[in-house]
Amino acid sequence: MSQMMAVPVSYYVGLSAVIFFIGVAGVLVRRNPLIMLMSIELMFNAANLLFMAFARAWLHNAGHIFAFLVITVAAAEAAIGLAIVVTVFRSAKHVDVDDVALMKG
Amino acid sequence: MTINVTNADWNAVAPIIIVAITGLLVLLLDLLSPKNISRYAAILLGAAGMIVAGVVASLAYWSPAYVAFGGAFIQSGFGIVFQLIILIAGIGSLILVRPPVQNERIAGATALMLWGTCGAMLMAGAGNLMVVFLGLELLSLALYCLCGLADRPSSRESALKYLILSSTASGFMLYGMALLFGASGSVAFADLANPALASSALLWVGGGLFLVGIAFKLSLVPFHAWSPDVYEGAPLPVTAFMSVATKAGTLAVFARFMYAALPAGTADRLLLPIWIVAAISMIAGNVGMLAQHDLKRLIAYSGIAQVGYILTALAGGTHLGLRYAIYYLAAYTFMNLGAFAIATTMSGDREEGSHLANYRGYGRRNPVGAALMTFFLLAMAGLPPTAGFLGKILILSSSVGAGYAWLGVVLIIGTAISLYAYAKVVRAMYQRDEHVHAFEGHAPAPLAWASAAICFVVIIVMTFYPYTPSNVLPIVK
Repeated sequence: MSQMMAVPVSYYVGLSAVIFFIGVAGVLVRRNPLIMLMSIELMFNAANLLFMAFARAWLHNAGHIFAFLVITVAAAEAAIGLAIVVTVFRSAKHVDVDDVALMKG
Repeated sequence: MTINVTNADWNAVAPIIIVAITGLLVLLLDLLSPKNISRYAAILLGAAGMIVAGVVASLAYWSPAYVAFGGAFIQSGFGIVFQLIILIAGIGSLILVRPPVQNERIAGATALMLWGTCGAMLMAGAGNLMVVFLGLELLSLALYCLCGLADRPSSRESALKYLILSSTASGFMLYGMALLFGASGSVAFADLANPALASSALLWVGGGLFLVGIAFKLSLVPFHAWSPDVYEGAPLPVTAFMSVATKAGTLAVFARFMYAALPAGTADRLLLPIWIVAAISMIAGNVGMLAQHDLKRLIAYSGIAQVGYILTALAGGTHLGLRYAIYYLAAYTFMNLGAFAIATTMSGDREEGSHLANYRGYGRRNPVGAALMTFFLLAMAGLPPTAGFLGKILILSSSVGAGYAWLGVVLIIGTAISLYAYAKVVRAMYQRDEHVHAFEGHAPAPLAWASAAICFVVIIVMTFYPYTPSNVLPIVK
């Protein structure tokens, strides 16, 4: 057991927290919708890492299944997200969410 | 652990499967028919599927709760009531689909709405975090597409905004779920209610992030900025669907989390931020409503406040509070669908008449429509002859009884502010106006009129025969 868990689970939690906050910062700071979508994927993958680490720590395979589910959902989300970005920016030269501001209030 | 899947398990999810298959059927018929499927055929088939699903779901209402698929899905009175509300929202908004959603997109729109309904229904019955996430994403992915359905820039803009913001919120929620999994070693709600977890840091951080996701989906105040823009840009029926189904599904998840998944003694502390945010929402939603000139934006802000009212009923975690919250949610569903139905009758081929300027002189052009709209708005404001008034009285009584009287006080203040905003719409309708604001291609909308009439009757019935579902606790066996 100690051989298997050579890396303590807290390291995984720390790493995934760093990845998660890089993702959050990316959504907040970057104005390019493609990079924002990539940052969202980063948030999802940080959660995936956490699921895998906890699945190992608890010896419970629900974490593995959850990670597969998240990968599937993230793929669907990326497909729909890219389609929406294309329809919005089809005629635009630059891809910048600040240009998409018809509605405010 | 092996899970034996029996027929009873499939019966528990039968309503969801029926709705999903109806969506496929609509797409298939569209493919097989020489031209596109006609608007009425798609809508009536979709509505029929949802009605069948509702009947199947309600058959199990009085039978004891059943835990299906090893705890993933729970068939109980609680879940069934929420599923019925979601199905009503699905039917009530599906029959409003008409131009400017083009006829060649009708099959896709119908299917997406059905699948979104599936997602919300899954959330209502979810017994573990995995199914919550699956239902939430199924609903959200369908809604991203639906928002961009109308062929105008504002619709596409609303799809983009909803996509980015809602996905970010999903990310927060998912990370919270991962931490909750780490805290309990299980994804089931029931396993979170373990007293040993009361001091677990993972539970507190995970629960907090989970609630951030919930607050976003409910558009509570620090996370509400998306809702007016998205509501305004999305086509009318989609706005109607979003304003009810998303909230009903998320409220079901929240109630299950709050009533069944928290270690004893932690609910008061862990959920306190939610009550504070609900109080701020009641004030900020109603104040924000004052400045709006578009019916959809106005209803978005109204929705922010209305969710605050429903959460007020839940505060304290009493059985009565849950029953009253469901009653108010049902009333809110019908008044929202009614208001959107009337708004739909005014929309033209290219444009949706949701700007308040378009309502000037409506009272003279269409006295019945104006009277119905006034009735629905009064119900939202919570004035006496409506279910909205009764619902608010019930919420007040339960919040005072549960020791959250301060939330009740905020509710009364919020209601007082909201009266002016709703009156603004009514005043616009009965204003004298020489200009005629009819749009080109102002097609008759019999289904929308029928929907408005049904909503009116149901609200009247709910007022005089208030039924609050008594079979909703315990939520998780």
